Amino acid sequence: MEELSVVGKSVIRKDALDKVLGKTRYSADIKMPGMLYVKVLRSTVPHALVQKIDVTVAKALAGVAAVLTADDVPGLNGHGIIIKDEPVLVKDKIRKIGDPLAVVAAETEEIAIQALKHIVVELEELPAVFDAVEAMQDDSPKVHGKSNILAVRKIFKGEIDEAFAAADIVVENVYYTQMQEHSYIEPEAGIAYMDGNQVVIKASTQNTHFDCREVARNLGVPQSRIRMIQAPTGGGFGGKLDVSVQIYLALLAMKTRKPVRLVYSREESIIASTKRHPCRIRYRTAADKQGKLLAVDVEAIADTGAYASYGPAPVTRLAVHATGPYEVPNVRIYAYTVYTNNPTAGAMRGFGVPQAAFAYEQQMDMIAERVGISPLAVRMINSLKKGSKMATGQMIPSGPGISSTLLPAYDKAIQTKALAGYEPSVKKRGYGLGCMFFGVGNTGQPNPAGAFLDLLDDGSANLMVGAADIGQGSNTILAQIVAEELGMDFEDVQVTSADTGVTPDGGATSASRQTYISGNATLLAAKEVKQLLLAEAAALFGVAQDKIVLKNRQVMVVGQESKDGISIKQLITVCRSKGKMTLGHGWFNPSTTALDDETGQGEPYEAYSFGSQVVEVEVDTETGVVEVLNLYAAHDVGQAINPLHVQAQIEGGSIMGLGYGLYEDMKKVEGKIKTSSFATYLIPTSLDIPSIQAIIVEDKADTGPFGAKGLGETSLVPTAAAIANAVYDAVGIRIKSLPITPEKVLRALEETR
Amino acid sequence: MEEKMKIKFLLNKKNIEVEVLPNRRLIDFLRDDLDLIGTKLGCGEGDCGACTVIINGKTANSCLVLAPQVDGKEVITIEGLGDYDKLDSLQQAFIDEGAVQCGFCTPGMLLSAKTLLDENPKPSREEIMRSMSGNLCRCTGYVKIANAIEKVANANN
Ligand code: FES
Ligand code: FES
Repeated sequence: MEELSVVGKSVIRKDALDKVLGKTRYSADIKMPGMLYVKVLRSTVPHALVQKIDVTVAKALAGVAAVLTADDVPGLNGHGIIIKDEPVLVKDKIRKIGDPLAVVAAETEEIAIQALKHIVVELEELPAVFDAVEAMQDDSPKVHGKSNILAVRKIFKGEIDEAFAAADIVVENVYYTQMQEHSYIEPEAGIAYMDGNQVVIKASTQNTHFDCREVARNLGVPQSRIRMIQAPTGGGFGGKLDVSVQIYLALLAMKTRKPVRLVYSREESIIASTKRHPCRIRYRTAADKQGKLLAVDVEAIADTGAYASYGPAPVTRLAVHATGPYEVPNVRIYAYTVYTNNPTAGAMRGFGVPQAAFAYEQQMDMIAERVGISPLAVRMINSLKKGSKMATGQMIPSGPGISSTLLPAYDKAIQTKALAGYEPSVKKRGYGLGCMFFGVGNTGQPNPAGAFLDLLDDGSANLMVGAADIGQGSNTILAQIVAEELGMDFEDVQVTSADTGVTPDGGATSASRQTYISGNATLLAAKEVKQLLLAEAAALFGVAQDKIVLKNRQVMVVGQESKDGISIKQLITVCRSKGKMTLGHGWFNPSTTALDDETGQGEPYEAYSFGSQVVEVEVDTETGVVEVLNLYAAHDVGQAINPLHVQAQIEGGSIMGLGYGLYEDMKKVEGKIKTSSFATYLIPTSLDIPSIQAIIVEDKADTGPFGAKGLGETSLVPTAAAIANAVYDAVGIRIKSLPITPEKVLRALEETR
Repeated sequence: MEEKMKIKFLLNKKNIEVEVLPNRRLIDFLRDDLDLIGTKLGCGEGDCGACTVIINGKTANSCLVLAPQVDGKEVITIEGLGDYDKLDSLQQAFIDEGAVQCGFCTPGMLLSAKTLLDENPKPSREEIMRSMSGNLCRCTGYVKIANAIEKVANANN
């Protein structure tokens, strides 16, 4: 393998300097002369028929430029990632608290707020449903249409009933997971204005090309008339995949022909945005006397709230990953996506898999205990690896499965354990394992991304990609890929991303897909340019193309590296003198097949990332408080393009997983969120974090750019499960519902006494 | 109309003399009137620390401070910490240690760290963690931020 010079190096992020100086302009920091301020009137009831929305008084207020309701949406009054079931502005039926009823643009924020108070809404409340299991009953109130069951994902493999009948060990449990909020620190925001006949929108988003399609459809104009630009985005984690402010802004910019800005408050952000699906998972596992898995039988019911959003996709991913990273010959999975009048659940980092992991990893420990083997052993003997078949029948394309991450994480934990001077007291310590796998990219769906590369006269380059950098660092990673392939310096590559006026579609920044998919597209664009350069250089030096290397901004002939070659810049000059442009483009779509509707069989992903975590907890048996002391997180990323930022993703993801495991809980009563602030919805602070060891494992994927796979979500997936297992190890109680609160721990301890 | 008040204070080492409404939040004054947009609004309720500024050597959430309250005081915002040609050592360390992801918490984090090191040039890891407990970060898991602060502390003698 040739030595890499830019890929694999922790180069400094492109955006870091402006960010530490406070110069980065996020959406809420953009101001334009004559700008109007936008506010949204939202429903305070969960389910109702709208009889009338009267905006006459609001419209007449001094300083109000426009008030829009459903009747002012010129195109389709619907949006949504999978189906367009969510109104831009409600016309006749409210389905959740927070549903938008009207939008106002005014000269000041205060006037806009005043105007909202003058809008008169008449409605007739309807009985509502707030529990997914109840919502599945025939006589439950219906959120949309005739059934609340939006989707059922089935996966069948082998002979499930025979396998259970023949099993030595059967473990069955029901697990509950809670609703989690993304809690990006930047609330949703954006600005829009007219540029000639084009509407320009700058907003905090994870997918500009999707936003553009939505807005164009709602406005009833061609997509080319919408230019959607991602403003620097203060985190997303899946919560900025759905449109938030974009459509309102575009409507109002068109209507008023003035710049308009909308910034959500924290409360509005929490009320209006999607969440992680709360789930009930009934999980039955069969194993033989040696602890070898024979079958799993899973029924998952996911509360998707009032609208589809991404809903069925995470639930499908939950189903596909429900066996965990283990080989299971017989599988039966039913996963239901169910509408209720709760806040909408959509995409969130991990996309259904953390819920599955909480169940399957506890099942694994229980099997181990019944067999009398260690948690480590039960995982090792059942691990998926290259050539083994997952639930959908797909063969794992490469790698040893979890062992390459589990063993290093375990070893690190053991080493530390030997050093810890620990005296058991009312505080008891324990260890827990959590393992995971994760398919990179969308599940069994085409999900391409493109890239344009323009190599400029002086040897520097502009890369244009649709991939939104929401803080994870894709702009930096993609520049590293170009620099590596073309023998340039990292600093030579400038990246413009997520601007529908300039960049090709990159698809969503989700599904841990940008390093892999936009990375491959970028690499293809670079290869196209490289091909041009090699052909020119080969002619110039009179050697075969494969004898040319591009390195350190130089063009050299293999074997004659010490001799003076020419610079890449000079080679470009040669191209230009012949009228040749050094442009490249690339697009990449991972090869997958759709899952069969009836059997769930198919090849949903091209590459899989594996990971393992070991946590050490201390459980206070008097207070029930669980503290995570140490977290060893080993994740296989194929090739770390930027190791420092791979570590940072592992650290950030596992701490979000720790929050999921121990305290985060979006509480709601009759569809009303009770935790709509950071004072009531608690996310981990610096005082809550354990000592973390992030361990990077590199089992290269043949299909990834320089072998890289995705990692954005992986580190969140196993943490809560590992904590649950550690609590059992410490005090012998099984907590089967998230989060693992002191109250639940104390109650369970009581019961064992 | 409420009457405006005249206030005088030192902002990033410069004298400021302005008239503000008594109920004007400091954060809005900084961001909207002076375009000092490095001070971020994450919650407006004192819960996230994105709006942290330094007032008379102590950190404060500028979303909970009214502009008239800084009359006669010294205020430092992220724009006063460093600039392109002269980064503060903390800013350099945040860059080098990978402490920046989405960057929305970063200005507040830096100002909390600055206050800590001014008071206590050699803090322990625990003191570092405590000092930033009022600044939420959803991206980093705090590890690299603490590493960056520790690096600067270690260089202090
Ligand atoms: S914005 Fe002031 S503490 Fe959050
Ligand atoms: S870097 Fe995103 S919130 Fe801290």
